[in-house]
Amino acid sequence: MGSPCHFALFDLQPAFCLDLDQLAARYRELARSVHPDRFADADVREQRAALEHSASLNEAYQVLKNTSARARYLLGLRGGELPLEVTVQDGEFLLQQMQWREELEDLQDSADVPGVAAFKQRLKGAAALLHEQFAACWEQPAQREQAERLVRRMQFLDKLSFEVRQLEERLDD
Amino acid sequence: MALLQIAEPGQSPQPHQRRLAVGIDLGTTNSLVAALRSGLAAPLADAEGAVILPSAVRYHAEHTEVGAGAKLAAAQDPLNTVLSVKRLMGRGLADVKQLGEQLPYRFVDGESDMPFIDTVQGLKSPVQVSADILKVLRQRAEATLGGELVGAVITVPAYFDEAQRQATKDAARLAGLNVLRLLNEPTAAAVAYGLDQQAQGVVAIYDLGGGTFDISILRLTGGVFEVMATGGDSALGGDDFDHAIAGWMIAEAGLSADLDPGTQRTLLQSACAAKEALTTEVLVSLSHGDWQGQLSREHFIRLIEPLVARSLKACRRAVRDAGIELAEVEAVVMVGGSTRVPYVRQAVAELFARQPLTDIDPDQVVAIGAAVQADTLAGNKRDGEELLLLDVNPLSLGLETMGGLLEKVIPRNTTIPVARAQDFTTYKDGQTAMMIHVLQGERELIKDCRSLARFELRGIPPMVAGAAKIRVTFQVDADGLLNVAARELGSGVEASIQVKPSYGLADGEITRMLKDSFQYAGDDKAARVLREQQVDAERLLEAVQAALQVDGERLLDADERAVIGLQMEQLRELMAGDDAIAIEQQVKRLTQVTDAFAARRLDATVKAGLAGRSVNEIED
Repeated sequence: MGSPCHFALFDLQPAFCLDLDQLAARYRELARSVHPDRFADADVREQRAALEHSASLNEAYQVLKNTSARARYLLGLRGGELPLEVTVQDGEFLLQQMQWREELEDLQDSADVPGVAAFKQRLKGAAALLHEQFAACWEQPAQREQAERLVRRMQFLDKLSFEVRQLEERLDD
Repeated sequence: MALLQIAEPGQSPQPHQRRLAVGIDLGTTNSLVAALRSGLAAPLADAEGAVILPSAVRYHAEHTEVGAGAKLAAAQDPLNTVLSVKRLMGRGLADVKQLGEQLPYRFVDGESDMPFIDTVQGLKSPVQVSADILKVLRQRAEATLGGELVGAVITVPAYFDEAQRQATKDAARLAGLNVLRLLNEPTAAAVAYGLDQQAQGVVAIYDLGGGTFDISILRLTGGVFEVMATGGDSALGGDDFDHAIAGWMIAEAGLSADLDPGTQRTLLQSACAAKEALTTEVLVSLSHGDWQGQLSREHFIRLIEPLVARSLKACRRAVRDAGIELAEVEAVVMVGGSTRVPYVRQAVAELFARQPLTDIDPDQVVAIGAAVQADTLAGNKRDGEELLLLDVNPLSLGLETMGGLLEKVIPRNTTIPVARAQDFTTYKDGQTAMMIHVLQGERELIKDCRSLARFELRGIPPMVAGAAKIRVTFQVDADGLLNVAARELGSGVEASIQVKPSYGLADGEITRMLKDSFQYAGDDKAARVLREQQVDAERLLEAVQAALQVDGERLLDADERAVIGLQMEQLRELMAGDDAIAIEQQVKRLTQVTDAFAARRLDATVKAGLAGRSVNEIED
């Protein structure tokens, strides 16, 4: 629908590689000009507009500052949205997934706190590799399938990282 | 399009000229009012020069006494003197009893879940008691500033949920105050420090008050305060330190646990005095009746260590939520009188590996920050250099999906204002309506979350299952209030039911208002924990019972069956009580003794599966 492109809100061209510090600075600048606190004494219509502007700015910032959300959004801009749930043939990665899951379970059983930290570092490394690969291929239409596969892998890693965090919380008890 | 207004509709104040606005810290133990005067934010003093107003209210038959006098009378008139009322805000009677302490009041059930306190002046709700404190502060501000207030910013713990925030707002309204904004206490403290020091970087605000604990992680950049994460415990504070000491005294003096209200109050007052003395002393003498004893700082630390540990755990969680490491926190600000306890400072310093900041009086810092923000919101500052606070929603908001699960639409710690849409579809052919159930909470099962509202989207054109596309939009404004709308995208059908807010009515209707709010708010964490344990226990008992019926004879010998039977019997007994921890432990015990049984069943299932039968067949 008529919502403006997230990149356009920040005066940026769609790109995967972003300077996050610059993005944050621009965000604060924009937030200052549209935040409802600036319109506490304005009329209801202006307040309403400020609320909507602020909300879309916050949403855009959330998407752009997160690498896998940004990748997914870029593919959506380029060739339609990615379906949420599809059965994908990605045998190679599936094996890797199972291995990670088993490791995570072992870490849980042994309550291995330093092990969790090391595991987190490895996941970060794996994510960085995916980002590199995605950067190299997402703009080429012929490699669309590969780019989609990479985004799904990123999403899996996000989910796994979330589970690691939950495990950390449990181990903290 | 706001189809569903869950909280109060946007009745923002519209100040037109420079008018008077104050910041109010409505604390568990003490309350303060502050204002910005000639560019300087400072707390306002009463006629005697006192800045702090103890949050104590004593009801006499003909009049109401608020502050130091009321606090002093607490032991001699415990039934009519209310202390720490903040702990009761937005909670039901069942919740209050779960607070795990003996409150010396006569609570009356009333027709709703709301706890009323029976005093010589009649029944008083926590909202009324809070309003009585706020009235005194309002009068003080108007007398000092010489005019009527356009409004106030009132601070609340960041971790307060919807019901607790609404109760606070109701109290303000009852006291004749126009609420410009409810501001999170840690954010207010950050504003006070940010102003003072032009700070930059990541800051942690550790706020341990009388009854609540908050931790917030903020990023400060050029006057912009970005809350990265917030967390805490709405039932942890310095009062618990007093209770720990009082409990120790009861044990040492060999008193029975069932004490009359006056004695309880006397004990708590001695405990509080001992706590305060231990800030500078290493040993204090205590007495009660003919008992005399000594409490060393070392032993005091042992008493409070588990409580402080709980706060540190919340700190680590907030840092994780902020997506940073502990080492990235560049400054730690201490807020709340309880951070005067040396052990608290030491524990926080160790966790963050840096000395916490204590330059601004920890009792005043929140009110000072609130006063600055009140002045801005009243429209007195428009120079582009004013501060900007980017706050977050403290609890996740979501929808019920199939199977009673919560689908989070806006996760906790998302910067507000925010709007987010989620698409759903029909699950039956020809389905023309869909129920939308909005909830707040972190748990996966909706029964563990707070129900905020329900409404129905009707008039969806009949289609095959899965063909309709229903977009549900959540919008949270800068006050943290939520609107929800639903729309079928193909036909453009929108939900047309509007649920009226249960709050925000005339002051005279406050009782009914609160009753309504409780209808939605359900109950609090402690009660939830118990219910959750009971449900878990129930589920486990059913599962074990079913397994025993199918495989008990085949896979277990008589001794093993007897052990399991005994543990089941004990669990059933505990389930009837209200000790959540005991239930949890017994659930663990039963799980342990049935582990081997479960393993044998799994083995048998796998073998049968290999023999060509499906798992379902076996379970059936």
